[in-house]
Amino acid sequence: MTVEIPKEKWSGQVREVTIGATAEDGGTRTQTLTIGGETTLPFLHFEGSIPHRPALAIEIRDRKPDDWSPILLETWGEAMESPAAWAKAAEEAGADLIYLVLSLTTADGEENTPENARRVVREVLDATGLPLAVAGPGQADVDNELIVPVAEEAEGERILLGICEEGNYRTIVAAALANNHLVQSKTPMDVNLSKQLVILISDMGIPLERIVMDPTTGALGYGIEYGYSVMERLRLAALQGDSMTQQPMLVDPGAEAWKVKESKVGEGVPESWGDWQNRALEWEALTASSLVQSGADLLVLRHPDTLKRVKAMIDALLATTA
Amino acid sequence: MLKIGENIHIIAPSVKVALKERDGGFFVDLARKQKEAGADVIDLNIGPRKKDGAEVVEWLVDCMQEAVAGMTISFDTTNLTAIETGLKLWGSNAIVNSTSAEEERLEQVPPVAAKYDAKLIALCLEKSGIPVGADARIGIAMEKLIPRAEEVGIPMENLLVDPLILTVSGTQEYVPEAIETVRMLKMVMDPAPMTVVGLSNVSNQVPNKMRPLLDRVYLTMLMGAGLDSAILNPLDKKLMGVIQGIETRDDSTPVKALYLKLFDRVAGMEQLQPEDVDMSDPLQAEIWKTVQVLLNQVIYTDSYLQF
Repeated sequence: MTVEIPKEKWSGQVREVTIGATAEDGGTRTQTLTIGGETTLPFLHFEGSIPHRPALAIEIRDRKPDDWSPILLETWGEAMESPAAWAKAAEEAGADLIYLVLSLTTADGEENTPENARRVVREVLDATGLPLAVAGPGQADVDNELIVPVAEEAEGERILLGICEEGNYRTIVAAALANNHLVQSKTPMDVNLSKQLVILISDMGIPLERIVMDPTTGALGYGIEYGYSVMERLRLAALQGDSMTQQPMLVDPGAEAWKVKESKVGEGVPESWGDWQNRALEWEALTASSLVQSGADLLVLRHPDTLKRVKAMIDALLATTA
Repeated sequence: MLKIGENIHIIAPSVKVALKERDGGFFVDLARKQKEAGADVIDLNIGPRKKDGAEVVEWLVDCMQEAVAGMTISFDTTNLTAIETGLKLWGSNAIVNSTSAEEERLEQVPPVAAKYDAKLIALCLEKSGIPVGADARIGIAMEKLIPRAEEVGIPMENLLVDPLILTVSGTQEYVPEAIETVRMLKMVMDPAPMTVVGLSNVSNQVPNKMRPLLDRVYLTMLMGAGLDSAILNPLDKKLMGVIQGIETRDDSTPVKALYLKLFDRVAGMEQLQPEDVDMSDPLQAEIWKTVQVLLNQVIYTDSYLQF
């Protein structure tokens, strides 16, 4: 008996966005990263085209963070002492992109400075040929103060500048426009707000091919289902032809998953929770792999083994549906 | 279509002040204005008014006698004593606004409407909240609201079922459901109950300048599905113009013709088609975009008209 597989015919397509520039395009990256371009839902190859696999980024910091899980500190070890070494280690771990987050303060507790931000970005660009994303610490005034010089330092590299939010996007978008970079448009989990911020950012004159949409997610057990639904709805709208929702989606399961008790804490938890290290890795991997299924095009992770696990899942799904 | 004027509403700051100061002239004027603008009914929304509801209604009825004697008045409060006071004074030319399917309300409110031979607005709402799908709302109407109305002797022409309208800003996926609920309510039985909506709910939390367009287009679609009455702002001239245009089948301008086409498409269980619209006319293009948003085919944002 032959089974007819029902196929949905979508009229829309996710925009293709390329992060990074090689020498040919005025940058120094040895490879670039293109995401998006889908004409169907994740892994439904029989229905439409999926020109680019979901990409995996590793988050690094401009200095060793004070509040990361000991599991992460142990894994990255010495590399965390220098952003350049950390970026190299992330590249070796298989990352498609380095996601560099600048800290609010330096290691000795002083305020982070534009000079320091420039220096770190230069070191990372010199240490790895991977495309780069750079985000500020998440305080509007400091973000703007640090991201503008970063954008200048990395001129021509087509880096992804984070993080544009509804209350603070103009300065970052202007810096991206002036130096030919891309921006990350982040909103609280809400379809209307996600679309609205893309509109506001594109109103400033930046092409849609340079906007990556970050709809925000929660970790497994901490609101992931809500984030999942928002992403699913945005993606369905994109495929139905709703133009301002057609940006590729970035989410940060690494930061979310490593924030929760289940991965952060090894002591004083029920024994039935099992091995801490394995639980923590599964938490990040399951959060990330669920988000791949909801249409994420670029996922930011923290642990190199998580990256391997998620990559293996993507490989397997691509193989079975090719 | 029965047009219930919403402007005497306790949420409006001017109404609140006028009621507090017992400024009769304000209410006489506001009621007359609505009547002159084409309202068939004046809604008196006084809020819950637990303590002095009856006294407030008595005073307002006096104002209405002076302003719009003989018109239909809708008594809009959860205070049943206040409603009954109003019905005693005004007579059967009245609407009880409203009951829901919550047990206590359904027990107490319909007999009062029946006793005074008034119309009754009945909300598709249970204790558990507003059901989101059309089927569930029809279920409430069929299993609770309609049987109870029949039980107390309210004929279907006096029962106004309200499917409950949710805002396009935040609960967009339920906006088309309400259209289908109206359609089904008109088809499930014969004689069918009447239907009513609180129109402006659809544009709650939407920037003020965009609300009237959403209201106009949504009302057209609801009328196409068979809507019998709406609580609305009769002072909105464009809204009243659209209703009149549809009722008189006026296609004398391209925009009027488009509203009529939209009404006909919905009535024929079809969607408005791109070829129905001259996209080079900005007024028609914004109606098209609004239809797409109201059908949940394009995600709503505060700047949806730009694209």
